[in-house]
Amino acid sequence: MRETIITRDMVANPKTHYGDAKASTRHFVTQRVTGLVNVVFLGFLLFIVVRLAGQDRADMVAVIGNPIVGIIFSVLIAVVAVHMRNGMRDTLEDYFSGRMYRLVMLLNTLFCLIVGFVAIGSVLKIVFWG
Amino acid sequence: MAELTLRKADQPQKGKTWPKPQGATRLREFHIYRYDPDKAENPRIDTYFVDLDDCGPMILDGLLYIKNKVDPTLTLRRSCREGICGSCSMNINGLNTLACTKGMDDSTGTIKIYPLPHMPVVKDLVPDLTTFYAQHRAIEPWLKTTSPTPEKEWTQSVENRAKLDGLYECILCACCSTSCPSYWWNGEKYLGPAALLQAYRWLIDSRDETTAERLDNLEDPFKLYRCHTIMNCAKVCPKGLNPAKAIAQIKKMMVERKAA
Repeated sequence: MRETIITRDMVANPKTHYGDAKASTRHFVTQRVTGLVNVVFLGFLLFIVVRLAGQDRADMVAVIGNPIVGIIFSVLIAVVAVHMRNGMRDTLEDYFSGRMYRLVMLLNTLFCLIVGFVAIGSVLKIVFWG
Repeated sequence: MAELTLRKADQPQKGKTWPKPQGATRLREFHIYRYDPDKAENPRIDTYFVDLDDCGPMILDGLLYIKNKVDPTLTLRRSCREGICGSCSMNINGLNTLACTKGMDDSTGTIKIYPLPHMPVVKDLVPDLTTFYAQHRAIEPWLKTTSPTPEKEWTQSVENRAKLDGLYECILCACCSTSCPSYWWNGEKYLGPAALLQAYRWLIDSRDETTAERLDNLEDPFKLYRCHTIMNCAKVCPKGLNPAKAIAQIKKMMVERKAA
């Protein structure tokens, strides 16, 4: 993998940018907002998990099959997936650059989409079909 | 690209133990990083003994005792010896600080001294700060205006001047930047706490008229957003400044600008 050589002139130039400048603040805000939402929703998730402790599958289906719980869980999964994608972006930026970065970022997005869709699909299955 | 291990040729080895000063009763042991680029040898850790009865109380006094009386080849930067010039910044007992303001009695046992971490070493305790200075240049640390220049000075109210307190005092010793893991990892792309503290100092200067341009220049996933609020910068700053807070304020300005 070939890396861009960063010269001292590039470092000293105020106009030099190393990434998607305009999106960086949006990513920063998204990460904080999804993090905050996660705190609230994960509290709800923990409450449900503790409430279901020791109960069987029929009880679990009855609780998660409630449309309101199902909607909250689906939103939680979507927010976690977005948060996970953004968090991984930071790590991938540290290790990869150029075309390799774009490739691993694409894989990261695909992974988060698959995890999100499978998890939300599972919740919807319980809501609609038990 | 990340380097997870130190190259074999860069790994410090046990060096020479210099003789104890004759007749000394109060001794302090120093372990000091030594590296000479002109010799094809690994860096080494030399052991010295300082006579506390023949030496001032600060770490810098101990280093100068060694340089003047034991080993004149020991190389270090120093100038003002009172925490103003920032020249004698180094890693002392695991913490970046100024040798001139750090007392020998602040710690017990052996004093271990290394150059500032994760910077190329020119010789012994002298790091290469060229990139660090280039980053300071990148934030354009001077007044930028578009209005006609006044006949006298650019004036500023007392309240607006007070906003610069806690920012202008930075002496560019590089203790903060070189203590930051994000800076270790992205030392060229990430501007680092010192440069960003200065960036904020010019962003909130009431006389400066290029705030939007300055924010445009800083908006970047690496230059600004590589700060993950680790806070090492605030912990080690020998002047008691808080670069992490200044960086948070820049991020806040970025978000407010987007929201506006």
